Amino acid sequence: MYALNMTDHIIGRTPVLVESDDFSSLLLRVAEQRDKAALAALFNHFGPRIKSMMLKLGSSEALAEDLVQETFVSIWRKAAMYSQQRGAASTWIFTIARNLRIDQLRRQSNKPYEDLDNLEMASDAPLGSSLVEQNQIIARVTLALKALPVEQQEVVRLSFIHDMPHAQIAESIGIPLGTVKSRLRLAYERLRPMLEDLQ
Amino acid sequence: MTINHHPDIATLMAFGAGTLDEPYAAVVATHLAMSEGGRESLRHIQTIGGALLNDEPAAPLGSGALDRLLDSLDDEGDTMTLTKRPAPVAAPTEDGLPLPLQRYVPGGLDSVRWKWTGPGVATADLAWGKDGKSRLMLLRVAGGRRVPEHGHGGQELTLILQGAYKDRFGIFAKGDIADHDEDVEHQPIAEPGEDCICLVAVDAKLTFQGRLMRALQPLFGI
Repeated sequence: MYALNMTDHIIGRTPVLVESDDFSSLLLRVAEQRDKAALAALFNHFGPRIKSMMLKLGSSEALAEDLVQETFVSIWRKAAMYSQQRGAASTWIFTIARNLRIDQLRRQSNKPYEDLDNLEMASDAPLGSSLVEQNQIIARVTLALKALPVEQQEVVRLSFIHDMPHAQIAESIGIPLGTVKSRLRLAYERLRPMLEDLQ
Repeated sequence: MTINHHPDIATLMAFGAGTLDEPYAAVVATHLAMSEGGRESLRHIQTIGGALLNDEPAAPLGSGALDRLLDSLDDEGDTMTLTKRPAPVAAPTEDGLPLPLQRYVPGGLDSVRWKWTGPGVATADLAWGKDGKSRLMLLRVAGGRRVPEHGHGGQELTLILQGAYKDRFGIFAKGDIADHDEDVEHQPIAEPGEDCICLVAVDAKLTFQGRLMRALQPLFGI
């Protein structure tokens, strides 16, 4: 699909940026070929986005940069754990950044998540959708998120991007906790067909 | 193992977003380790995070950020890093504890030091590294025994590890999770037979206040 031999593109030690929207293929290259050019391409796309997310949690410019670095060192270390059944690359990278956020910003253990990952690795569940299908799912979910009623988008973003517990969301926008939860449930129901790839 | 009672989707979303306090995350992870369907739901939920991250505006990185990353990778060395998938970890057996719980109960259920909290009822607090506002604990109710009626000051997550209990919401057996908001009152009765052992996350901050303290006193021996 992307017949680039990226190692050929490394000049000196700085890889040439590879233009590609197929992040899952890049991640597999990192996993299977220890391809730094592929990692660099992922860094150029996701690094600034992870930084944006970390800044929204109130972290300083310097801390946000550090967390981006740590996220990508984790991606490098753990790339072999990425497999196609685990969904789109952006989803996997989100979970790496999330686990780091729990550890570094929340100062709590992310071991429950790591244990689940290890269980998944051990499971022989058949592969789900192909890389292309996963990218399509991400594209459809992105559109569906934008089509959600504003009040549902708000709680979803505050939870996933701003890292706010439900009780804090309730407090910050001045609605009861039960309303936060019901908006999240409604949002999930709307996203479900795209998430389960039923369309 | 057929699981009939699942976490509220909003709870799973909080787990996927990473915003649950560790005791709650530990209960959800232990449940998910027992539920293939639950893990599939989690994958869907995490896709929401992936789509949102992908769609985040780009905050420009400082100059030299990529070089800094590549330098750290050099420090890592190419050979010491994972190039293969790690060896599979043993899946939970029918008798063993699910992997996420093993960290909190390293010696297994037989090693737990139970504290008597009422006729046929015992509890054991599990350490989780922080004196946070939430508590992680095991609850053991002898077959046929009744847990005193109680309300909740905050969210209560209860995962059945062994045996079963029944309340007005139905029968809860191994792998089932009861996900109750504050204002829910219920009176579980352990099913006849073996002890019912549950993993419970509760909001401890509130247990020292009026109504809830009185309500929980006979249950948790506060």
